[in-house]
Amino acid sequence: MLDLYIWFYTGVALVILGSLATAIGPGVKDPIVRTLNTEIAAVGVSLIFLTYNHTIALVTYIAATTIITMILLRAIVRLEEVGAEL
Amino acid sequence: MSASVLVPNVVSPIVVSLYIPAIFTGLIVGLIGLLGISYQKNDLNALILTDIVGLGMLILVAAVGTDLAEALILPGLVVELAEILAISEILMSREIRKKGKNVDLIPLPVSLDMEVLTTAPTFMAVILIAYGAFLSGFTGGAIAGAGILFYVLSKSARGVPSDIWEGIAGASGIAWCLWLVGFLVFFVFPQFWLLALFLAAFGVFIKVAYKAGLIGVIGREEFKKE
Repeated sequence: MLDLYIWFYTGVALVILGSLATAIGPGVKDPIVRTLNTEIAAVGVSLIFLTYNHTIALVTYIAATTIITMILLRAIVRLEEVGAEL
Repeated sequence: MSASVLVPNVVSPIVVSLYIPAIFTGLIVGLIGLLGISYQKNDLNALILTDIVGLGMLILVAAVGTDLAEALILPGLVVELAEILAISEILMSREIRKKGKNVDLIPLPVSLDMEVLTTAPTFMAVILIAYGAFLSGFTGGAIAGAGILFYVLSKSARGVPSDIWEGIAGASGIAWCLWLVGFLVFFVFPQFWLLALFLAAFGVFIKVAYKAGLIGVIGREEFKKE
């Protein structure tokens, strides 16, 4: 049986690394890279919810984070098509 | 931890032992996000970083570790979603106005001119809304809202009548009142708890389902009007 703390601290490490990667990671001048880096932090938050048994919150969070990624990618693509400097 | 903090007995010891690390993780993540925003000159990159600040907020709420946390995470998610949607719409419309160029509402690399999108939307939307009404509450509202959104987006090529959205916004407000009345009945007339439960469940169902109306109101200027 794996220790419960493993999941929690893996989640903590993923959240902090993911948010650092989003803020100052390599290649974040490109907004698409930045958006994809937020997914690492999102997986970490999912693991933390899993440790706390927040089932409904976890399911809703997975759906919401997918929709947020879609909204951000749509904004990036539309702004690029308009020709705004990103 | 000092003894001055009152922890109820129902909270499991493992949640109590994880409380301090979780709070600090949330604070660190929020701080990283805010520092990133403060060094950012580009609006779009700042918008992506607000997502990270939202994650910090979610961890702070989750650290409570009881049903209360679960009940607080759901509205937090909806608020974060609405906020990112609204700000991205503002950014896009500002740039479009500045450049004076028009682009598709949803730019896609492939053409979505599929048979399914012209024949199936009504059927799919009816099934999703009926299943959402059966579930009721927050989850049902989300499913029914997905049905409404799917219907609207697949019809958007043909044009959505603009005054429907005012009606949807009004119905959403009435549903919100139903939800509040349900809560009031819980406290004032506890013997009618079943009525109160159903008022609250279906009020929040209609309210969440018509969150799609938010997207509709934003897109009203961009959809072709009939």
